[in-house]
Amino acid sequence: MDILLSELKTGIIETLRLEDISPDQIDDDAPLFGTGLGLDSIDALELVVMLEQYYGIVIKDIEESRPAFKSVRALAAFVQAKRTS
Amino acid sequence: MDKIVITAASRVTEASVPKARLGARFGRMDLASQLALLAVESLGIDFDGRPRDRIGICLGAWAGSLSADLEFWGGRDAAGGPSPILFTYTLPSAAIGEIAIRHRLTGANLCLVGKDTVLAEASDLLRRAEVEACLCVWCNVVTPALAEMIQAPPSAHASALFLQRGGEGLRELQENDRDIETLCAAFCAQNSTS
Amino acid sequence: MSGVAFAGCGATTAVGCGMDALRSALRANASGLRACARFDLPRFQSCVVGAASQMDTGSDDPAWNLADSALHEAREQAREALAAIPTERVGLVLSTTKANIEAMERLAEHRSCSEAARRHLRGDYLACDLAAAHGARGPVQCVSVACASGLLAIQQGAKLIQRGAADAVLVVGVDHLSAFVVAGFSALKAIDPNGCRPFDRDRRGLSPGEAGAAIVLVSAAKMSRPGITIHGWGGSNDANHLTGPSRDGSGLAQAMRRALDSARLRPEEIDYVNAHGTGTSYNDAMESTALRAVFGECCPPVSGSKGMLGHTLGAAGVVETILCVLAMQERLLPGTPRLNVAAEGVPSDCLKQPRPVARLRHVLKLNTGFGGVNGALILSHG
Repeated sequence: MDILLSELKTGIIETLRLEDISPDQIDDDAPLFGTGLGLDSIDALELVVMLEQYYGIVIKDIEESRPAFKSVRALAAFVQAKRTS
Repeated sequence: MDKIVITAASRVTEASVPKARLGARFGRMDLASQLALLAVESLGIDFDGRPRDRIGICLGAWAGSLSADLEFWGGRDAAGGPSPILFTYTLPSAAIGEIAIRHRLTGANLCLVGKDTVLAEASDLLRRAEVEACLCVWCNVVTPALAEMIQAPPSAHASALFLQRGGEGLRELQENDRDIETLCAAFCAQNSTS
Repeated sequence: MSGVAFAGCGATTAVGCGMDALRSALRANASGLRACARFDLPRFQSCVVGAASQMDTGSDDPAWNLADSALHEAREQAREALAAIPTERVGLVLSTTKANIEAMERLAEHRSCSEAARRHLRGDYLACDLAAAHGARGPVQCVSVACASGLLAIQQGAKLIQRGAADAVLVVGVDHLSAFVVAGFSALKAIDPNGCRPFDRDRRGLSPGEAGAAIVLVSAAKMSRPGITIHGWGGSNDANHLTGPSRDGSGLAQAMRRALDSARLRPEEIDYVNAHGTGTSYNDAMESTALRAVFGECCPPVSGSKGMLGHTLGAAGVVETILCVLAMQERLLPGTPRLNVAAEGVPSDCLKQPRPVARLRHVLKLNTGFGGVNGALILSHG
């Protein structure tokens, strides 16, 4: 799980070209959207693309998967679940 | 009718982009938006104390958004599809949006593609008092990939001017001031020799 | 305000080639949206689009074809007015978001692409070539401000005439249906796979469309009977987000107020509003809010045309203005094709079906685009 958390943080930083932030500066439970990292709806779509590219996970309905994007930990749990199913 | 005064001029190239620190989203922008934002930043305008709803933005994009278009289209076969973020920059006027957002400018806008005739249009906006001041930005971004496709030289630079109705500044805008790049090059050359 | 009149119009759209087809569609409240068979890239949901089916789908220069066809018709309609104007006094303003992006797709895949098609990848070259082919040796411009391009191009045409740079301007808007645009809006998940429903409670997104639309603007002084004129305009920026409009509609409201001020009109003097109405959740909600901010509870009749033609991007401002001109000539308020049940908050007189009126004196046209750009145009009849 730790590796996945770390991978996701690196993925987010690279995909969204976030500057002046390293993976260990992203809190596992901090909100990704709104406050916290302050990402927006287009960033969410970009992360959906990232999930397909890196993990082969296809998200059909972004509204349904909204809870998965709450924090990096939530995202990791989501990816983990998809992998084992 | 008030004269139109140039209060600031700037010119930036791709070299300035890596060290730029213009907000969290800067890294996600296309090169044209980055250069345009940098050029505006380099003008050093203090927008506080100016009515932001009376400041216009006029942009000239020599090659439209073709560099960003080509980059977007290049990602079409990736698993997950092409980049949503990149798509939002496949419009010549995306840079206007970024400038407006950063500086909270809600005045009138215009974006022209091709040869630079922006100054004539900015002057028109000012003469009609549709705006009190206007950011004039010229963007010339041709990536190597695009250069090959449209058979034009590669390029990555932007210039910007700030015009206002009346008041004091560098000098008055003249009838024979045709394009932003020439004007900025002249001002910037003056600065470097003084 | 402006002394600039409409001398002629032309359009090639999803409801057919020519103004007669557009007029019929207006009267019938028809929709030209159909399931799209053109793109077989597996990623795209098969979606419902506004395709101009008369056009040769194998052409490598669809932007040229659409624009050229519309210009021929508009100039024919304006023949009498143009006959008296030397070509050096005729300008051309092109409105487009992607010009002939078809050429980029072909070149990227090493498929055949003529020199003309490649040339027309660049909006300024497309504009110059159209000007040369259509007797416009005066000033030429290519306006590209996302989906607000069309209205801003019409304003540019009026400005060129008002400042004496031209006596007539051919304003032409064009965007063709492309895999590029469908891929892009798919990536943003902004498409309604069943076809857009502007202002509808169940709306889910836009429908990509294509059109070529042209207007001949002439100095009113040079016309024996000016008819419909441009009375005012206004523009603004939301300064909020690249693709999401300000929730409170304040930017669009500001553009409307500027247009009203420039025309020296009060809100209650507007007889009809043709909205941007893309069918996305955000846009239509924002627009409803903006209309309420400007008109209060006394909003004039409103309708949206994208259920008829799809979202024609750079052509939208021009072709939807042409629909307003038709409405004024026919004295018929346009309906909102594909609207079933209006969403909460939509203006109370949002027309589903067309409605005859005694007269339409002042009409307000709205468009907004990515990058937060808002445009408002006021047309007046007599």
